[in-house]
Parts: sequence; structure tokens; C-alpha cells
Amino acid sequence: MIIGRASLALGLAVLVLLAVTKEARAAGPLDNPGFAKVITCSACHGQNGNSRSDMMPIIAGLDPAYFKKQIESYATGKRSSPEMEPYAKEIQFLGLDQITAYFASQKRQPTPIRGTANAIAKGKVAAAPCAVCHGQNGAGDPARLIPGLAGQAPGYLAQQMLLFKQDTREPADQLLAAKRAVMRVIPDSQFAELAAYYGSLR
Amino acid sequence: MVARVDDAAKGDGMTMTRRRFLHSASVGLGLAGGLAACASTIKGDIAPKTGRRVVVIGGGWGGATAARYVRMADPSIEVVLLEPNGDFVSCPFSNLVLSGLRTIDSLTRSYDGLRSRGIRIINEAATAIEPDTKRVRIGEGYLAYDRLVVSPGIDFQWDQIEGLPAARDTVLHAWKAGPQTVELARQIQSMADGGVFVLTVPPVAYRCPPGPYERVCQVAWYLNKNKPKSKLIVLDANQNIVSKTALFRTAWQAYPNIDYRASNKVIALDTSTKEVRTEFDRVKYDVLNLIPPQRAGAIAVQADLVGPDKRWCEVDHVTYESVKQKEIHVVGDATIGLPVPKSGNVANAMGKAAALSIVSLLKGQPVPLMPPGNTCYSWVSDREAIAVINSYKIENGKVVQIEQKLTPAQSVAVAQRAEGWRLSIWSDVLS
Repeated sequence: MIIGRASLALGLAVLVLLAVTKEARAAGPLDNPGFAKVITCSACHGQNGNSRSDMMPIIAGLDPAYFKKQIESYATGKRSSPEMEPYAKEIQFLGLDQITAYFASQKRQPTPIRGTANAIAKGKVAAAPCAVCHGQNGAGDPARLIPGLAGQAPGYLAQQMLLFKQDTREPADQLLAAKRAVMRVIPDSQFAELAAYYGSLR
Repeated sequence: MVARVDDAAKGDGMTMTRRRFLHSASVGLGLAGGLAACASTIKGDIAPKTGRRVVVIGGGWGGATAARYVRMADPSIEVVLLEPNGDFVSCPFSNLVLSGLRTIDSLTRSYDGLRSRGIRIINEAATAIEPDTKRVRIGEGYLAYDRLVVSPGIDFQWDQIEGLPAARDTVLHAWKAGPQTVELARQIQSMADGGVFVLTVPPVAYRCPPGPYERVCQVAWYLNKNKPKSKLIVLDANQNIVSKTALFRTAWQAYPNIDYRASNKVIALDTSTKEVRTEFDRVKYDVLNLIPPQRAGAIAVQADLVGPDKRWCEVDHVTYESVKQKEIHVVGDATIGLPVPKSGNVANAMGKAAALSIVSLLKGQPVPLMPPGNTCYSWVSDREAIAVINSYKIENGKVVQIEQKLTPAQSVAVAQRAEGWRLSIWSDVLS
């Protein structure tokens, strides 16, 4: 009984201590050391990487290997972007691993930008060649560095399709040869419909 | 007067609608007079402090962001924001109002997002800072603070141009988006075909380095289309286009109506003969847009946060604490000494870093290194834009540029990304 009481008291004390610690810790995002490293990103990519605009990609919940590959490609200029090349170097300075982990752990909120029902329907029909790699529901395949497209900002998707078709996104990357081949046979006018379709997937 | 504060917090400040706001002062100065009258009726402690409190002076890109990020990082800290204007009006994109591509309403956003985070917004201007007692004065009243953020933007050095002090109520700068932007657009639209529009560019440092040259593009595009006999004379105090030089030069090839004159500093103005004078020349105008030389907002000068030149505020590169006053942080266009442009994006970045520094300091925790970034788009026609991007690191306590990159050419795709940036960053400042 005495031991029981003592352990009960100890247990209570631990609970109180935990509660106090928890309260002290309930302070917010600064407790995640990644937060202070990503504050520059939200100016374009939205809160926690959940861009709400048509042209800026959602980077919340991105697969870590895919995210890292993009930052390294931006920094070396292989993936050409006047916006991202300087920031990729800033990310490398601040710590690529931590920033990758931060965005990977954020819950992805699908884009609020919605195409017309007609565009989505047409995009769905045209998406058959895309599904071969990106999957039936646009979930992607992290093992092959193929990104998920479901719920991504449509304006961004359409612009990337054009870059692949023009061979100006990572032109030397052999992993993307199939991607370019597919894009080359899709008429430019279909990009917006494909983007509307993938943006609408959840 | 507490009632007044509460009214403002509930959104009564918003009942001054955009239309009334725009009509209230065709050149903006009537507003300041009205507020001074209000402020003088406030007495004593406006809102007694109960816990830790951050007061923010100025609800522009730097100040609104700082207020938001303090609350995001630690909702137990009380935040009071002092901003005379009832709404936020975006300077970025306001040159598109001059060409008729955008309305000022489309660039106007409410502060309701900040209110819903529990930030108390008082629609008054700070009239003095008392660092010793850690108080901000609003007329006869005051607010106590633990840490103060000063984001006062810019004010104009009227006396640098002869004849300007007397004409400052009628000569338009349109360099703070709002009533002056609308009035300048009206003057351009009502100018006769064949009329001369004169734009004067102040010497560096001034707010938004590429801003005057984007304005040249927008007005030239409008005149080209609507008043083909008109021309646009640019009197630039600087030796060359200050920012995105080659890209603007290329863009201007589409506008034969531009007459650009470098190293033409305006030294005098005569509104009776509709003439500006440079060191060498007299130039007649039909519509004048005179952007005067600039310094930090008046409150920063009055509180002696400025350096020996009495113009700009030097700050710590990590925390944005003033080098002249402890526990007062200065952000945005009013600062000097960092290798960054005076841009909305930089003010936003400084606001975040200052906010998280303050929260860390109030908790007694180490301050993380949070270098700024700058993404800056300029519209060169009705559908194409260019951009400059700067990234930074912090070395030995100083901000150092990693890289500056320009878009290779003007394009529709860049303009589309500019629209994305606009929506994202407004949300980062105000939501």
C-alpha cells in the first residue's frame, strides 16, 4: 500500500510535470527548428508550403528525395529558374536536410484553384499517357522520383508541361526523357485541361 | 477613448470605406490633419498592459508582417498595431493603376485577417516614442511595450527642391499607393493628346529601385495606345536606370514616346509656368509626377533612430534592433546598411525575422539566423513582366548577398508568376 501510494504520488508528480512541460512547449512553431529556416519561402509558396495561388507550386508534403533533387538542380542551374536558383543556394546555406524535412512533414492542402467542369473532363480523357508514370489518381511514385500531381496548382502544372515540351526543364536529365517524349505529342492547348484535371484530384 | 480603440478592433475602422477614403483627400494630406485632431483627445494609458506586449508602428509590408508573425510564433504575446489608414493598399502593382490595367480597389485589402489573430489595430499615428519608459505616445495618450517594432516607411525631403514645399499639396508623387495614385491616373487620362508627361526620379536611396522605370513602361504603354502624339520625359537624378537596367532598356524599345534623360536632377519647380528646372535645363510639363528625395518615415527621425545623415536607420542584421535604441526594432524601407533593396518583399522578410527574434528574446532563447530574400517583379507592358531575385546569407552577424539573378527576358510567364507572388505575399502579410 505504501509503495502503491508512493508510486501514485510519483505518477501524479510526473503527470503535473508533463503538463507543465507541455504548457511551456505549447508555445508554437518556433519549437520546430525548421520553421525559422523556411520563413522566406512563404512569400511565394504560402503558409507551410501550401500555396493558394495558381502559379506558385504547393511544396507542402513533397517527397524528400524529390524535393532535394529539385533544390540541387535549381542551385546548379540544371533546372533553370531565375527565381529558384538564388533561393536554392540560400536553402543550401541554411540547411537542405532540415528544410526538406520541414516541408515533407507539412500536410498538403489541395489547391483552391478550380478549372471548369468541361476542362476537367477533357483533361481526364487526355491524361491516359500521364497515368502510366504518375498513377491513376496522380499520386506519383516517390521510389522513382515521380512527383504527385493531385491537387497541385494548375497554372504551375501547365507552365511546367510547356517547359518539358520546349526541353528547357533539365534538358540533360535522362530520367526525364520519357516525360519529354510524352509532352512533345500533346498539343499546347491541352496543357490547361490536363492541369485543371490534376488540380481537381484529391 | 478605450471605446474608440474597441470600435477600431471590431472593424469600425473599416467603415471608412475605400470610396470615402479616396475622396477624403485628393492628395492625402487632409487625412493626417484629421488624425492629429483625434489623437489630441486621447489621454493617459490607452490600454493598460497585462502581459508581454509588442507594439508595432506602421501597418505596411514590414509592420503588418511583424505583427502577424509575433502572434503566429507566440499567441500569448499581446500585439498592438498602430496604423492611421483603415485599409492596406499595395504599392507593388500600383503602377498598373496609372495605365488603367488595375483599379486601386483591386490592390486594397482589409486588416481583418490580423484582427482575427487577436491583433489590436488602432487607426492612429504614433506621435512620439519614449524609449526610457518604453512607451509610444499617441497625442496625450500612450501605450506601454516590452518590445517595439518601427516600420514607418518613407517620408519626403520636400525642401530639397526649390518651390516644392509650397506646392506639396498639389504636386503628385504617387509613391505611397492610395489617393495620389488614383489622382495621377485621372490626370494622365484627361491629358490632351500631344500633352507632355514629366516623371522625375530621385537620387538613390529611395523606395522601390525599379519602381520609377516600371512606371515609365506603364505610362508609355498607355500613352502609346491612347494618346499617340503625347510624350513622356523622364528626368533621372541618377546616372543610369537604377535597377534591371538592360531589361528596361529593351522594354523601352517598344515605346518611341519615351525621352529618357539620365543625370538630370530636378532642383526647382514652378507650378505657375508648369516648369521644372534641372541644373542645365528647363522642362515644361502638362502632367507632372515628381517623386521627391526620401528619408525614413517622420517618427523614426523624430525618435532619433536615424544616423548622422538624418535619413535612414541602421539596424542589427540578425534581429533588426536599432543600433541607437535598445528594444526598438526597425524594419522595411526606413533601414539602411544591409545589401538589400527597399522593396515590399524585403520589408516582409525583415518583418518576419524581427518578429521571431523578438519572440526568442522575450523567451530568453537564442535568436535563429534568418537571412532575407527579395523577389521583385516589374510589368513592362500590359502582359509581360521581368524580375530580379536576390538571396542572402548571414556571416559574422552581417547580411551578405549570395546571388542576384534576373529573368533572361520579359515574358507573359513571368507576369503570370508575378500574379502568383502578389496573392501569396499579401496573404503572408495580412492573413
